[in-house]
Order: sequence, then structure tokens, then C-alpha cells
Amino acid sequence: MVIKHKNIFKTESAWSNADEKLLCLDTGSWRTERPVLDKEKCNYCGLCALYCPPQCMKDMGDYFEADLAFCKGCGICATECPRKAITMVPEGEFADEG
Amino acid sequence: MVEKTKKKSRVFNYFCEEDQFAGGVAWCSGCPLELTARFVPKVLGKNVVFVGTPGCAAPVLHGQNVGAWHRLAYMASVMTGVPSKATGLSRYYRRIGQDATVVCFTGDGCATDVGFQPLSGAAERGEHIIYLAYDNEGYMNTGNQRSSATPLGAATTTTPVGKIGRGKTTVSKNMPLVMLMHRPAYMATATLSHLEDFAKKLVKAKEKVKEGFVYLHVFSPCPVGWRINSNMSIEVCRTAVRTNYFPLWEAEDGKPRFTVEIANPKPVAELTKLMRKFSHLKEDGLAELQKAVDERYALVKNLCDAYK
Amino acid sequence: MKAKKGQVRVITGNAVGAYGAMVCRPEVVAAYPITPQSEIAELLSQFKADGVLDAEYVEVEGENSAMNVVLAASIAGARVFTATSSYGLVFMYDALQETSGFRAPVVMVNANRETPGIHAVSSGQQDMISARDTGWVQIVVENDQEILDQTIMAYRLAEDYDIQLPVMVNYDGFYLSYLAEAVEIPNIEDVDEFLAPLKQQPERQKLVPGVSIGCGTHGMEMGYVEARYKHCMALERVKNKVDEIDKAFGDYFGRSYGGQIEEYRTEGAEIIVLASGSAAGTVRTVVDTKREEGVKVGMVKLRLFRPFPAERLIKALKGKKAIGVIDRSLCFGWKYGPICMELKTLAVNIGAIPILSYIDGLANLDINVPHIERVIDEVNAAAQGKPYQEVTWIPMEE
Ligand SMILES: Cc1ncc(C[n+]2csc(CCOP(=O)(O)OP(=O)(O)O)c2C)c(N)n1
Ligand code: SF4
Ligand code: SF4
Ligand code: SF4
Ligand SMILES: [Mg+2]
Repeated sequence: MVIKHKNIFKTESAWSNADEKLLCLDTGSWRTERPVLDKEKCNYCGLCALYCPPQCMKDMGDYFEADLAFCKGCGICATECPRKAITMVPEGEFADEG
Repeated sequence: MVEKTKKKSRVFNYFCEEDQFAGGVAWCSGCPLELTARFVPKVLGKNVVFVGTPGCAAPVLHGQNVGAWHRLAYMASVMTGVPSKATGLSRYYRRIGQDATVVCFTGDGCATDVGFQPLSGAAERGEHIIYLAYDNEGYMNTGNQRSSATPLGAATTTTPVGKIGRGKTTVSKNMPLVMLMHRPAYMATATLSHLEDFAKKLVKAKEKVKEGFVYLHVFSPCPVGWRINSNMSIEVCRTAVRTNYFPLWEAEDGKPRFTVEIANPKPVAELTKLMRKFSHLKEDGLAELQKAVDERYALVKNLCDAYK
Repeated sequence: MKAKKGQVRVITGNAVGAYGAMVCRPEVVAAYPITPQSEIAELLSQFKADGVLDAEYVEVEGENSAMNVVLAASIAGARVFTATSSYGLVFMYDALQETSGFRAPVVMVNANRETPGIHAVSSGQQDMISARDTGWVQIVVENDQEILDQTIMAYRLAEDYDIQLPVMVNYDGFYLSYLAEAVEIPNIEDVDEFLAPLKQQPERQKLVPGVSIGCGTHGMEMGYVEARYKHCMALERVKNKVDEIDKAFGDYFGRSYGGQIEEYRTEGAEIIVLASGSAAGTVRTVVDTKREEGVKVGMVKLRLFRPFPAERLIKALKGKKAIGVIDRSLCFGWKYGPICMELKTLAVNIGAIPILSYIDGLANLDINVPHIERVIDEVNAAAQGKPYQEVTWIPMEE
């Protein structure tokens, strides 16, 4: 038998190794709506970031910003914000931005 | 502009580790399971080992060939072997003096059904492991079939609503109480609307697991299977607490106590209206569900009162 | 260098299994009682209580958990041991597959017993046969001493860096379980010495907290194929390893068993009886008497069942005129016994000779001298070109 296959695993058994290969999905592309923040209303309590299931909100020092590469557009941040500082806006409206 | 005098939520203070997961993973939009999975290692900190199993968690917890979706030390298991594998790991790590927090991370289906025997065994033996069951009240990964944790009346793909069928005909297994009866070192219920409560319980879990078995039952609605709008899943958690549908309590050394008490519980209809899995229930169906909720709550309350 | 003389004691096969484990210093042990193995679970607990076994002993709530406990501990780096039988082995089925798939060097002894369906608390190899496709190494032994020696050898095999596979040591439940024989228990320091080479090899992958690795990843397409290929190749390597280890054991302890198979008076033999387990002892005696009568018969004792020792069998059986195979279990869906069925796959290499299948020794029934005489007579007749019956359930014809 002539083996042409190049081994995927360095180990004898099948192990995953995040240092070798951390997988990641483009979940930002799932979004149909995006969270838009009204900084005027925000008081930096961080609840939006805490409740965000993909934990994609970045601490910007005095407000939080969704990382659009991963934000799935669930709208939880907007619903949970006690100051109603976040609005979910259809992605269509940002089409121009590419 | 609003005064930024208000301090950031205290919950941030419980984080002692970075998010261990990749930015984009396959959990559905708005799923509290994703929040649970990311939250737990952040609070538990270093040297966590997860043992996971088929269910909605597996597509993210298991690797794919060499690739992994997270940085946790991890062991995959069939549904029947999770707490026993955790036992093997924890016994050996303790023997060699290796600091480790071994966490079983499974769904309700694994915990209450096919994986129940080894869970009960490990709890009775007082193994030094944390077993976390995220409860989405059914087998979600295989397409929303009923589990022992599916509530009375709920429509699932194996308790469907039809000409005769009116959803599940029995009440769910009261898993937190079942586990309390094992007298674990620590056990608690938790959910994602009450994050500080959850974080405190995780901190306690990490301490108490040094003494013995820890069970955590986390109410984790499934936006897809329960048909909830994706933005509403945290609100569903909150309403479940406020209706006493899912009371928040804990038991240290076998002594139960509420961690959140609801002064004026709302009727369960406030909860059921947020989702469509109960939408076929008429007044009598809802009354039966309310009765089941009241009964269950009274049971926990009596226990808590007895230990006051 | 040679091992010092060990301590000779008259003990049961089960006790031997427990001693065999103990002298190898397992770090995590988990077992669940079942007839005819229970004594092992009890004795290991007693060893622990007496302080002579320094292991974590997990009193699990079932065999499935026993296997999962030792599997995970093994992946964390421990030397592990478990023991079971019959229903217990069947109850481990998924865990058996995970253990070999994860390449965990677990060592288990299994007291062979019939399996559920027809409830039988009696000896037979059906349990081991039911687990043959779980990816384990399966070895069958004949007597109490061999249980002990093979258990020690099993660690040397399982934990070999080139192998990394779980090993199941099978012995006849009831017959050997409760049979007290004089057994030499080696000195523990000598066992340390025999197992020392395992410390001089590269470290296998272990699950360590704080390290970003995952055991039991999804095998996707070629990842799956590669992992299974490596597993199968490791099983292939087991064959020669078993011979090497058997030889090394013989050199050091003065006892050896032939490795994959034992050949008894096969030289000059025209016909062969293929047997396994404790029945081989009786076969040996009958072969001796038949030889005196001028029948050119020999015996091959199958020790390694998985991987199937094809090459050694071909070498031993080539040129023979007929073979009789005694199976103590069934191969549902084939009329032959399982060992016979597997041997038949080698017919191209052995030659178109009669291979007669005998089913005997089920449910504690004896494979006695008259039975074996009958086998030898019929195989001999077949070798002379006489017509023969392909499959015989011996007890059904009595
Ligand atoms: C032994 C076994 N039986 C059936 C399955 C198929 N299966 C995969 S996930 C699953 C349901 C899991 O339910 P749960 O534990 O609640 O997790 P969820 O999918 O809801 O997250 C089932 C039945 C399996 N993997 N293993
Ligand atoms: S929850 Fe609202 S107020 Fe609080 S930080 Fe987020 S956007 Fe600002
Ligand atoms: S929409 Fe959802 S995913 Fe996006 S930032 Fe808000 S909570 Fe996070
Ligand atoms: S099916 Fe339900 S529980 Fe599973 S990931 Fe999707 S939303 Fe979450
Ligand atoms: Mg579930």
C-alpha cells in the first residue's frame, strides 16, 4: 500500500489542539440587524456586554462596542440595556459601508 | 451626556480569566447556552478541565480534527460516561497534587436521562467534580424531543400537539431536588438573568468541590426550540424566576436556602406567553401547569423553611 | 539478569487476577462486582484497606462507569486496572470503544462467562467474542499462573509507546475463577524492573489542566480515517510485540507461553486441534495419548485473539492435512464457531484442507477427554480423505 496521506494529527491518538489551530466562524455574517449605540444615553454599566451571548462587546473605556465580526445580531444587548441606549437597525441600512 | 458616575456592574469583578472561546462559534443567535459556556470558565479561572458530551454544547466543545473552538483542557465523552470520566480525571489529579477544577458540562437530557446513573453514582461517592447541567428542557441538538426535564404540557417533536395530543402529559423530573437528596457538598440552581447570583454560586462551587460533589442546574432557554425571539431569552430567564417557575436556591452541606426570593410571584402565564411551545395551552392547561409550578415551589420552600 | 524466586501460594484464579494487578502498582482502579469476578473487586479493596495497594479505588455504580473512570484516569497519565465479566463487559460496550479509540492503555481482566439473552451464570467465551470489534487487544490464558504473568505482560504491551492500546486478559470464568492452584507471585521490585523499559520511552499525550488540548476530538473525514488507520496499524504491531514481551518475560522470570500462539507437538503433526483457554490443558493430555497410539496430532493454543495472529497461524498450520477447531462460543449468523470462522479466512494461505468446527464447553459444560478424542479421530479421518461433518455441536450429539 502506498500512503499518500499526510498526517493530520501529530499524536498517535486524535487530539485537538487550540494552540495549533483555533477554529472560528464568521458569525458576523449571520446578522440581519446590528446594535447601534446612543453614547449620550449610555452610562457604562456594562450589562449589555455581560449578557451578550458571544461576549463580543469590547470595553472602550466609557462605553461598550459590539465586535461586528462576531455579533450575531440577537438583540439581547438592546433589550437588556436599562437605559435603552441600543437600537437594533436592519443591516440593509448599512449596505453602503460594504 | 449622562454622568458616567455609575460604576460598572459588579459582575465584572468575578471574572478572573479571559474568555476561553473563539469569537465566532456555532451556537444559535441569542442562545443562553453560549453565555453559560463562556461565563463559567471566566469565573472559575485557571486549570479548569471540561468534560462534555453530545448535545448542543458538543459542536463547540468537541474539536474537529486538530482544530478546537476553545482553549480549555477538554475531554469528550459519550452521554453515558461524563461524570465517570470526570471521576477518573479528578481522582488522578488529586493523587498527583495537580491543581484542577473538573467540570462536567452537559444538557438536561444527559443529566436527567441517559447519563443519570453515573451522575447519581458520582454524587453519592462524593467525587470532587462540578456537574453543570444546562437545562433547555429537552433534547435540542437532535431536534427538540422531550427529555425528563420537559415540563407538563410542552409541545416537543415527541410530545406533539395534534388532534388528540396536547403536549407532554407528565411533569418534569425535579432534578435539583433529586440531586439535593444525594447530599452534595454544594448544589445550586442558577440562570442567566441573575448573573451575580450565578457568579457567586460558581465561586462557591469552586471552593466546595474541594470537599465533595457539586451540582449546578442552570435554566437555559432554547430560543429555537421553544420559539422565543432571540432578543428575549434573558427576559425569559428572568420571568422564570419571577414566576417561581425556576426558583433560585442553593444548598451548602445539604441545607437549602433561597438566594433570590420573589415577593409577589407573577402567574406562569406571564412566562408561557413569551414562547410558543405552550401556545396551544388553554386556560385549563395553564391552570394545571400553574398547579405543578406551585407544588414544586412549595416543596422547595418547605425545605428551605425547615432549615432556617 | 533474572528475577528472584517469588512467593508460591495456592490461590484462586480471581485472587491471581488481583495479585497480578497489585504487583504492577496501578494508580487508579475501578471495578464492579459480578459472578465469577467479584472476588477481584473485593480483594483489591482489601489490598487497599490493608495498605498493600496504594491506588485510588473507585467503587463505581456499574461497569460502564468502571471503564470510563479508568479510561479518563489513563488519559490523565495514570496506570489503571479494572476487571469484569459477561453482562459487565457488555454493559461497557460504548466505553470499550472509546477506550481503544482514545488509545488509552487500560488493562482489564475478564472472567469469561456467557452473555445475556439466555440467562446463564456459567462459563463460556461469548462475552469476549461479543467485544471482538471494539478495537481492544484480547488475550486468552489457560491457567492461574498464566493469568498473573499475562497481566504483568499486558502492562508492558498496553503502555508501549508504539502500541498505546487497551488490553483485555481473558480467562475461563468459574473454571479458573474458583480453581485454586499453586502460583508463584513475583516480587514487586522484579515486576518494577520488568516494566521499567516503559519509563524510557517518549511520553504519550496526556490531558493536563491549563493546556489547550482536547481528547476525543471529532474525526472529520481524513482525520477519522487517519485515526482509525493508526489504530489498525498499532494492532498489527501488537502481534510481534506479544512475542517479544513473552520472550523477555521468559528470560527474566523463567516462564513463557509462546506469545501469540503456543504450538504443542506440532512438529511432525499432520493434524492439529486449535483450542484456547483452560480446555487447552485437556487437549494437551489427549494429544499425548493419541501420539502414543501413533496419531500424528498436535495442538495450537490460541493466546492472542485480537489482533488475530494470522501470520503465526499460517506458519504453524501450513502443510497440515486437517484441523479441528474447538469454540466455546457462537458466531451468530455463521454456522462455524467464531475462532473457526476466522481461521477459515486463512484457508488460501494454509491450503485447501478440511477445517472442522466444534462447538463445545458452552454454559459450563466440560470439554472432556472423550470429546477431544472424538475431535481428533474425526479430524484424522478427514485428513485421510473420509467424508466429515463441517460443524458439530458436541453436546447436542450426546
Ligand atoms: C447514547 C446516545 N443516545 C443518543 C444520542 C443522540 N443524542 C445526541 S444529543 C442528544 C440530546 C441531548 O440532550 P441534552 O443533553 O438535553 O442536550 P441539548 O441537545 O438539549 O443541548 C441525543 C439524544 C447520543 N449521542 N448518544
Ligand atoms: S447596557 Fe446600556 S447603558 Fe449599560 S453599558 Fe450597555 S449600552 Fe451603556
Ligand atoms: S446583538 Fe447580540 S450578539 Fe450582537 S452585541 Fe448585542 S447581544 Fe451581542
Ligand atoms: S438549538 Fe437551542 S439550545 Fe441549541 S444552540 Fe440553538 S438555541 Fe441553543
Ligand atoms: Mg437539553
